[in-house]
Amino acid sequence: MSALQVTWLREVRTFRRSFTGYVPIALFLSVVGWTFVMSLRKSDGGVLQLQTIWGVSVSPWIPVLCSVLTMRLFAEERATGMIDLLLVIPMRERTLVFGKFLSALTLTVLAVSLSSLLPLVIVPWLSPALKSALHPAAFAMTGIILLLQSALWCAVGTMVSVFFRNQTMAAVASILLCGGIPLAFYAVILVWLPEFRLNATWMPLITNVYDFSTGLVSTYAIVFYLVMTGLSLFICSKTLALLRLRS
Amino acid sequence: MLEVKNITFSYNTQETLGNITFDAAPGEILAIVGTNGAGKTTLLRLLACLLMQDSGNTLIDGVDSLTRPIAYRAKIGYLSERCPLYEEMTVEEYLTYRLRLKGERQFRVRRRLDEVIAQCRLDDHRKTMIRLLSFGFRKRVGLAEALTAHPPVLLLDDPLAGLDLPQRKQTAEVLTSVSGRSAIILAGHEISFLLEWCTRFLVLHRGRLVGSYRVNDYEKDLLQRKIEQLMTYGSEEVGPL
Repeated sequence: MSALQVTWLREVRTFRRSFTGYVPIALFLSVVGWTFVMSLRKSDGGVLQLQTIWGVSVSPWIPVLCSVLTMRLFAEERATGMIDLLLVIPMRERTLVFGKFLSALTLTVLAVSLSSLLPLVIVPWLSPALKSALHPAAFAMTGIILLLQSALWCAVGTMVSVFFRNQTMAAVASILLCGGIPLAFYAVILVWLPEFRLNATWMPLITNVYDFSTGLVSTYAIVFYLVMTGLSLFICSKTLALLRLRS
Repeated sequence: MLEVKNITFSYNTQETLGNITFDAAPGEILAIVGTNGAGKTTLLRLLACLLMQDSGNTLIDGVDSLTRPIAYRAKIGYLSERCPLYEEMTVEEYLTYRLRLKGERQFRVRRRLDEVIAQCRLDDHRKTMIRLLSFGFRKRVGLAEALTAHPPVLLLDDPLAGLDLPQRKQTAEVLTSVSGRSAIILAGHEISFLLEWCTRFLVLHRGRLVGSYRVNDYEKDLLQRKIEQLMTYGSEEVGPL
């Protein structure tokens, strides 16, 4: 078993044993369910498809879930002093970071998958007429964009966790950063680069979900999410390495 | 063999360790002593790659901590002063986790686990949750963890702190038994007790190495007084012995 697998397994087991996994996922599913039902009511008779309503209901809550799931990853290790024992292990910092990131992503994917039961199972059961409106391929595409977004927010949360010893502070900072990234991007475009406003329409998170769920797959968006995820994890592992210089 | 060559380290601009040079080979139990703030923990953290020196080199069997940090870290076992552990794990789970994290092959994990558990006398607490252990047993788990991968160099930061006399004696027995295959470097305060089983003393005073003594070369009472004087004044020439 590699160090990556060992780290991942330990974190997933910790989530399984503690409330830090169950409670956020339960709350996430409740909020997503409520948002989905409200959106379904609002769009009654409209043109939005079921997978789009599901994607748009899930997407805004993923940053919150990821922030809560990732808050303890490094903050707890730093608070208890376990970070020293992890840094003494003969493995690269990026292995440690990636193992922890994957554990949070696993739980996020689990939560998002559970939320898909609502449009895929419950709604068709309640209203058999809607069964014909289900398109598995379109659901899969919506799932892909939600997976990309989950990876980005988990990476941002993991990165933020390295900077704090207090888990709550890490979660708050992570939520602010997750909300702040899209807002800052928009502000930059609107204030300094208004001529690129139209070119940047692929950026908004909800628009991405809408596009993917209707079959408009954007390579820009995929590259953007992958690059930002990689960048966040890179910053995280370098910050961890820097702890040796300044602790 | 551990070789420390002219290590210097500063926190911000204040020099914490200056020009430290020594070596240690398997078979040696080397005690680093000094008053609080002398730089013992900082020196051990430098040797454990948890801090990076401003200048100088640290090598284990020729492997440099700066140029080949991962290979270097594979050769050390470390016990920190606070002895942090994962509270939600049992002793066995924790030691297995650490062994696997260190890259130990699957077929060796069980053997190594049984070895260290027997060595540190943790048999009765194998399945006990770590949060239910007393401080003394937690220290033993930390020590067992440091011993798991049979490292050629063991770095122990105050392994006796907070232990009662029987536990200290047990720790000393364990360390003496593994000293044949590992060079043991430990920080501590209890000079009279350390003199019973350590083979060499390094005395730090305000970040400087002010004395190095082999226990066999001196009469124990005289050596204890020498060390205490050095710890306090930084020189053998100040005050009566």
